[in-house]
Amino acid sequence: MLFNGVRHTGRATTAVEPQQERDPVMALSLRSSIDRISDPASLDEAVHEVFQLVLGAESAVEPPASGRHGESVTAVVGFGGILSGACVLQCSAHDAIAIASQMTGAAMKSVDDTVQDAIGEICNMVAGAWKGKVPELAAHCGLSVPAVISGRDYNLHVQAPEFLVHHGYAFTDLHFEVTIVCDGLR
Amino acid sequence: MREVRALIVDDSSVMRKIVERSLRQAGIESLVVHEAGSGTEGLTVLQSNAIDLILSDINMPSMDGLQFLAEIQSRNLAPGVPVVMITTESSEEHVKQAIRCGARGYIRKPFTAEQIKERILPLVQGA
Repeated sequence: MLFNGVRHTGRATTAVEPQQERDPVMALSLRSSIDRISDPASLDEAVHEVFQLVLGAESAVEPPASGRHGESVTAVVGFGGILSGACVLQCSAHDAIAIASQMTGAAMKSVDDTVQDAIGEICNMVAGAWKGKVPELAAHCGLSVPAVISGRDYNLHVQAPEFLVHHGYAFTDLHFEVTIVCDGLR
Repeated sequence: MREVRALIVDDSSVMRKIVERSLRQAGIESLVVHEAGSGTEGLTVLQSNAIDLILSDINMPSMDGLQFLAEIQSRNLAPGVPVVMITTESSEEHVKQAIRCGARGYIRKPFTAEQIKERILPLVQGA
């Protein structure tokens, strides 16, 4: 899975051997830190931080839903640079509307641009908070602007990721899931 | 404190509203807000409005926050006006780059009301 449009601080995203000697960023490797990067606790901390600060609500980890029926909203923020992949936040349309209503302080009735914008921004903040937990990622991994998908009967599939962390969360009576998928690690 | 004219630049309209609400909660009661969804729109606002404070995201389509900042400096569009970056990008490199480009402050999203109060009020207190 490739994510285009990743904002990145000017580093090449494709390893080219001769440049590795000249560019200190290219010499960085996250391979030795993979246990730390893929630690599910980092994702939990990032989600708790964002929901606490943005919505004033404590979120609790819960088992992810086995399947999603009906309309749902999915936000994707791509990672690029020393790690490539994405942060994906998914929830039902009902819960997306409720989250957006709490964020804006205005009652929303359907999945409109504002709801999509709100869910995209939550995903963006979770992605930023998650990568901020690892200094090498914070410095050398860029974020894309959020992409938001809404509708019914769609699936996200990633082929052979390096690692994937997938957790369900609940706050008040709302539920959402967050996935960190890494499909390339330098 | 007299009226503060703020320019909020963020591609998320929801975030623009949250930032505006936070400024009011921080104690800036008399606030006039101009919004822009990108750096390009921000430059247009600056060309035709007097502004006391600029708050800008970094990750935006078309023209990002750092390019926006560089354009403000090179065109001398807002001399002396404090610019604060509000962004999910939190690395030391991003902070240094923003400061090099002329930013007076840097706040990471998600932010607290206290952070807005502590880092932005002193910049507009003399306004």
